Amino acid sequence: MWFADLIGGMVVFLLGLAVVFFSRQLPYMSEYGPGPGFFPLWIGLGIIGCGIVVNINVLRRRDKTGAFFKPRTKMAVSILIQIAIAFLLFPLLGFSVVLGLFVGASMRIMGKHGWIPCGITAVVTGIAIHFIFAHWLSIPLPTGMVGW
Amino acid sequence: MDLLHNLYTGFTIALTWTNIFYCLVGVFFGQIVGVLPGIGAPTAIALLLPLTFTVNPTSALIMFAGIYYGVAYGGTITSVLINVPGESSTVMTCLDGYQMALKGRAGAALSIAAIGSWIAGTGSVIILMTFAPALAKFALRFGPSEYFALAAMAFGLLTVFGGGQPIKTVISTLIGLLLATIGLDIVSGLPRFAFGMPQLLGGIDFIVIICGIFGVAEVFNSIEEPEEGELIKQKMRLRDLFLTWEEWVASRWAIVRGSVIGFFIGMIPAGGITTASFLAYLAEKRYSKHPERFGTGAIEGVAAPESANNAASISGFAPLLALGIPGSPTTAVMLAGFMMWGIRPGPLLFQTKPDLVWGLIASMYIGNFLLLLMNIFLIPPFVAILRLPYTIIMGFIVIFASVGAYSVNNNIFDVWMMLGFGVLGYVMKKLEYPIVPLVLALVLGRLAENSLRQALMISGGSLSIFFTRPISAIFISAAILAYLTPVIRWALKGLRKVKVDAA
Repeated sequence: MWFADLIGGMVVFLLGLAVVFFSRQLPYMSEYGPGPGFFPLWIGLGIIGCGIVVNINVLRRRDKTGAFFKPRTKMAVSILIQIAIAFLLFPLLGFSVVLGLFVGASMRIMGKHGWIPCGITAVVTGIAIHFIFAHWLSIPLPTGMVGW
Repeated sequence: MDLLHNLYTGFTIALTWTNIFYCLVGVFFGQIVGVLPGIGAPTAIALLLPLTFTVNPTSALIMFAGIYYGVAYGGTITSVLINVPGESSTVMTCLDGYQMALKGRAGAALSIAAIGSWIAGTGSVIILMTFAPALAKFALRFGPSEYFALAAMAFGLLTVFGGGQPIKTVISTLIGLLLATIGLDIVSGLPRFAFGMPQLLGGIDFIVIICGIFGVAEVFNSIEEPEEGELIKQKMRLRDLFLTWEEWVASRWAIVRGSVIGFFIGMIPAGGITTASFLAYLAEKRYSKHPERFGTGAIEGVAAPESANNAASISGFAPLLALGIPGSPTTAVMLAGFMMWGIRPGPLLFQTKPDLVWGLIASMYIGNFLLLLMNIFLIPPFVAILRLPYTIIMGFIVIFASVGAYSVNNNIFDVWMMLGFGVLGYVMKKLEYPIVPLVLALVLGRLAENSLRQALMISGGSLSIFFTRPISAIFISAAILAYLTPVIRWALKGLRKVKVDAA
């Protein structure tokens, strides 16, 4: 956790530097008062300052226990990957089909449910999404090749 | 008389069949959300917000308010029966509620929580009715310097009440402010941090961020660290819900004290319902003649925090409606809803939209009454929800978050952004950077920046404007003091250590 905290502090510090860099490209003052670069510049400086304090705190810390990666972190990452794959499939298969498949697949992979309940849930979810969001609430969800 | 007339108008609006339906849906959904660990009121409202584009704003707000105070009721069930708080605001209820359940008094614990919440909720609505319009009248005197100072105070108070490391709270606030600057500058029209991407010119929509940072991030966190507890298998009959005379005597003043503490803490920007319940519990323990009973099943230990969290959820509407400043993540999400419907909460809201304000306030009486009935007669079905596999709940969250993010601008780019913010929220939580300051700063960022720039334009660039106007001077002093609190605490700690070493 100590190392993760240090990396976190470094990222904050670098973010601050980037904000300052891009704010400097905007006018700091305008004809009437503060310009568009005024507020972001101070935010950036604040972030840099806080990043330094965080890193000092981390370096001074003696307690280095705790872990960033936990026993179930793999499962969280696996869900992230499943969601990303689902989003990639949106243009191809459409929202209703993909999200139905996602629910069925995650039930199978994460919950270890049987194929039949997973399949039924996937179909029911897909139909429900189509009717609730696309029909009832008139949200123009992408339909993909399936037309749903 | 005005007050009664306004309340009468409010009831004529809240008691239409449509609004009763939305109120019922809100409190029912709130109760379910409260029962389910891993999903909170801001997440639920954030996920439903994009779906209410076409709903009448008053009805939608009645529903969202129902979710907000319904969650405080629902979270109690899991705290008492499985020792896992459904909501952070019911953490304190676990201490004595679960012990009562182990002793066979689960029914009494749930009853006192429902009765206390109802008394606190109804009492708070009465105070809110008189207090909020007065606050709105007072806020008519506010100019840009007061608004900036108020926002600065809200951010500062987060470092005091937020818990955790103050420096990380400040970083989270700054990131929220930074996100709010993305897009075209309102004064000069110049793009900021858009990097040539047309999708970013209008800024990142608030709904996209909260669907990710509350919704999807919560999925990752809940999968990594599931909150599991064993359900106490106790057959609950209606008569088990009745309190004994001793229990009622022990808890009646705890309800009153909890309500008062909750009401005031809820009104403070960044106070929040969790802090309210925590302070009410500590105050009750300190006040008690037998503090040793706390933690072993004292009914006052359930009554006080439960009353406080409900009172705070109601009083949190005062700064939102009267000042346009949200005090908690849930009211911040609701502010986003106001903006989505083109309504600007603030001092003028009571004059321009009295039907909305009074309809909302009147609905709180109805909602609290419905919740009281639900929590007395419908506990078993809500307990059954706990048996729902998390994979299904997770699926629902991902569906609502994806559709919600997509529906803002009807483009897939926003869905990916939402996922990105989900990852950010997940990592922030792992590294103990609080999410709430980011959300509050994001909502108030534009107001803070515009007010600051306007104030400096008026003063010709001098910062003295914040100290020479009395109201802004008070707010800005409170903000400075709040930011200095961690330094003062640190210095005092150092002094104490020196004294101990010397001794």
